Amino acid sequence: MVQVTETSEKIGLNWDDATELFRNSSVDEVGLKERVSSLATRSIKKESKLQALNMIVSMCDLTTLEGQDTDGKVQQMVAKAIHPDPNNIETPSVAAVCVYPELVETAKNAASGSKVLVASVSSYFPSGQAPLESKIHDTKYAIRNGADEIDIVINRRAFLEGDYRKVFDEVVALKEVCGKVHLKTILEVGELGSYENIRKASMIAMAAGSDFIKTSTGKISEGASREACCVMSKSVLDYRKATGSIVGIKVAGGIRDSKDAIRYLVLIKEEIGEDWLDSKYFRFGASSLLNDILRQIRKISTGAYQDSYYFPRG
Amino acid sequence: MSEVRKTYKMFLGNEFVRSESGRTYSLEQGKEIVELPQASKKDVRDAVSVAKKGYQSWSGLTPYNRAQVLYRLSEMIEGRKELYIKVLKEFGVKDSEAKKDVKDAIEALVWYAGLSDKWEQVSGNLNPVAGPYFNISHQEPLGVSFIFPRDNVSLKSFLLSILPPLCVGCSVICISQESGVLAILLAEDIHNSDLPPGTLNILTGSYSNIIEDISRHVEIRGVGVSEDFNNDSFTTIQSNGSDSVKRTFILNESLNLLSLNPFLETKTVWHPKGK
Amino acid sequence: MVEKWSYSSSIESSDIVSIEKKYGHFINGSFVSPKSKRYFDSISPSTEDLLSQVSFGNKADINLAVSSAREGFKTWQKVKPIDRSKYLFKIARLIQERSREFAVLESMDGGKPIRESRDVDLPQVSANFFYYAGWADKLDLSWGSVGLKPYGVAGQIIPWNFPLLMLAWKVAPALATGNSVVLKPAETTPLTALLFAEVCVEAGLPDGVFNLVTGDGETGAFLVDHVDVDKVAFTGSTNVGKQIQSSIAGSKKGLTLELGGKAANIVYEDASIDQAVEGVVNGIFFNQGHVCCAGSRLLIQESIQDEFIEKLERRMQQLRVGDPLDKNTDIGAINSKQQLEKISELVESGVSDGGAIYQPECELPGNGFWFKPTLFTDVQPAYRIAREEIFGPVLTTISFRTPEEAVEIANNTEYGLSAGIWSEKGSKILWTADNLDAGVVWANTFNKFDPSSPFGGYKESGFGREGGRHGLLSYLKEKK
Repeated sequence: MVQVTETSEKIGLNWDDATELFRNSSVDEVGLKERVSSLATRSIKKESKLQALNMIVSMCDLTTLEGQDTDGKVQQMVAKAIHPDPNNIETPSVAAVCVYPELVETAKNAASGSKVLVASVSSYFPSGQAPLESKIHDTKYAIRNGADEIDIVINRRAFLEGDYRKVFDEVVALKEVCGKVHLKTILEVGELGSYENIRKASMIAMAAGSDFIKTSTGKISEGASREACCVMSKSVLDYRKATGSIVGIKVAGGIRDSKDAIRYLVLIKEEIGEDWLDSKYFRFGASSLLNDILRQIRKISTGAYQDSYYFPRG
Repeated sequence: MSEVRKTYKMFLGNEFVRSESGRTYSLEQGKEIVELPQASKKDVRDAVSVAKKGYQSWSGLTPYNRAQVLYRLSEMIEGRKELYIKVLKEFGVKDSEAKKDVKDAIEALVWYAGLSDKWEQVSGNLNPVAGPYFNISHQEPLGVSFIFPRDNVSLKSFLLSILPPLCVGCSVICISQESGVLAILLAEDIHNSDLPPGTLNILTGSYSNIIEDISRHVEIRGVGVSEDFNNDSFTTIQSNGSDSVKRTFILNESLNLLSLNPFLETKTVWHPKGK
Repeated sequence: MVEKWSYSSSIESSDIVSIEKKYGHFINGSFVSPKSKRYFDSISPSTEDLLSQVSFGNKADINLAVSSAREGFKTWQKVKPIDRSKYLFKIARLIQERSREFAVLESMDGGKPIRESRDVDLPQVSANFFYYAGWADKLDLSWGSVGLKPYGVAGQIIPWNFPLLMLAWKVAPALATGNSVVLKPAETTPLTALLFAEVCVEAGLPDGVFNLVTGDGETGAFLVDHVDVDKVAFTGSTNVGKQIQSSIAGSKKGLTLELGGKAANIVYEDASIDQAVEGVVNGIFFNQGHVCCAGSRLLIQESIQDEFIEKLERRMQQLRVGDPLDKNTDIGAINSKQQLEKISELVESGVSDGGAIYQPECELPGNGFWFKPTLFTDVQPAYRIAREEIFGPVLTTISFRTPEEAVEIANNTEYGLSAGIWSEKGSKILWTADNLDAGVVWANTFNKFDPSSPFGGYKESGFGREGGRHGLLSYLKEKK
């Protein structure tokens, strides 16, 4: 078991201990896909379905990361985040909203008094193709504006060039900037090319001190997949075994509907356990997903499907 | 005598299309004159484009899937048996011959359907090399193939020409002149079947203007002609085909494992055996 | 164990199935009353409820069935190969269309989870009929120019672990190659076979080509010993297999046997660990471990043993034991009281021999026959649980240090049906496969079946193959 080093507010490992963790990263793709397919045959109905749907709402990070975002847009989204379905007081609020650094202040003001957290992307999201100084600057700016959580991207160029040390050092540096601010590290699984690489990247990100590992930026065509989530889950579980730390998982990009979202919950529950079934350790990066969840919740209580105009825009 | 001129269309990428040239030719179908598209060079190029996609999809299915698709096609043809017989008779085939032709055609299709997931068990094999190596010869489909079936208004002949490449996972472009209407009738069933778009593409008309393009097109990996194909035309195909080392051959046209060979590439893989 | 989020039950309705109160034998194209005038109960092993009463087959019943099969063989010989092909395609199609009905019935009668009968058994059943249908009209391609002909009347006896699938593995190649059949399904699982007989009628299969006699071991013995049976095919326990082999000695009957196993699932230290854990779990807990080729011995390289066992136990904790008709059930009921007693006895012996036992926490239903998934560690190769086939959800762990040792332990058994190898090194996989005395070797996977892939054992796991081109030879002999 590798030793956990606590330095200032950073939790992580030193580089040598980190490399131990990704020594055997091999993943059999066919076996992995079969396991994921098998988990998808779970039939979640009745009370267990309603419970899942409410859990999912509480795990959503409502997201808007567009060139056309404005104060108004963000305010509407925050309102929805706090009261996703005004006609149903039992529906919880979402975990967080996620915006660009420029809009953090607006989001913070809109969310004040509620339990909804404000996350911001940084580190030259989404490409990460910039010098470390820019990424640090970007991150500091978001934190100054009041971000509760920061979502960064790993340096895929360095990773694919084989410079894992650089990937690690960058995350370490950004975690140091964050201090107590919660750090999610985006692996961008759609660019990594293999399941082995996803496992390796997960270990590097965790060892460098990330609080969460996240699948995707949502900005490329390939977003999260249950296979990627499965590999990350196993990494997270093994990391806890090795160090005692629980790292969370966020899946983002391409989770279209409730059925799919529920399959993620099943995967987490059976692959790594119920400790992760909490917004503290699991999140969905969502925008359109939320409305489908609310429709399903309504259907269970009223017996009928609603049209999208029944639910507030956000 | 009826003055109605029926216009048939060619079948490319799972759609019915006219020739982009707009040209047509006529056939006597019973008491009617019918018009069919005369395939042009551009049509050939379009066909290759969709046939490439067809090849990706079709060869990507499991052999079991391909067997299922072909078997279901036989069920569909069986269901429209009477129509095929009627059309054959309209083109001068005697009643008893027409019935036999359709029955034989369906049985040939069933034969090839059932071969799809087992030909490789006979055709591929492990090689007993003299060394600590696992060595296996495995066969892959060629790709896009162009077929010149017999043009003798027989469903059985037509199918015997195109089934071998389909069976092993190639996509097919073919052309019929006298049998054009019959081929298009088949295309209707193909359209409703589970054959992925572009797997089987049917052109109509004379091939004289397009034979050059066919034989030079690099993405047509193989060209097969029926035994009664014109010698000079085949020579043209062979000599033009040599530019890209195209595989050119005379079709086997019988229910025989050997009918598959021209449409296959053999890949041999080695792997050491040791701790 | 208190869960934060538990799954509500999701029961597959059994309305789709209609079971008769009583069944006759299926002889010469129709259901007939038993000459024995006796019936016996078929119960559901998950509830112990009575499902139906089926006929008992005595010597007279077998005689009638065999003579019907003899006439059926003559009829079948006159049918053109392409038409034999078409009959089998039709049967495959009909089974495909009625898959759900068959799957529910299979789970009710045998105890296996609906998810398995629906997702594994039934698709394989129709695939087998489709596959062999396609051989019927091209047998001349299968073994070159050697003249082959069918045996004639095939007497087939199948077990209770995959009732309909074992039927398909036997009946499809037999009919495709031109034989006629008398089938004796297992005593505890006759119902899907009886439904299959209905499908034969619907497909228009000529009378006498397929015949079905239900009964017990005695019925099977009459069939095996009948002088007019040309070929015997048996899948079941090694003991009974040996008896059969002995009793037909001297006759000219063809014989294939598919018997028991005690497969080694070898996990090398360079395996993809998480997938290996899945493969090991699937290898022994699929179908409650009622699988002849089950990976019942985990051979684990010592260097990764602790890590692996921990992950294995954690994974076992996720297995859901319960109502076979619940779509979320992973492990269904044990097939019968006798089998449950056998498993329990062996497990007790494992404990008293000194093995360490692990069973996840789970609640077992009240009625019915149930056993928790079980893992033994600290096992010595001499213990009974390391040598005898348990045929239940019980995994025995033995450690090794080198590849040679792994192979030696794996082969140290009278069985030789299957084996598993987990490693990311290709050459080591191929070397190991070369050195294992097993008829089926799965590398980085387990329990994979395909109609085109031959299956069968070495040594006392039997002889002959089912599936693929080689499977045809079980039902064809040389024209001499």
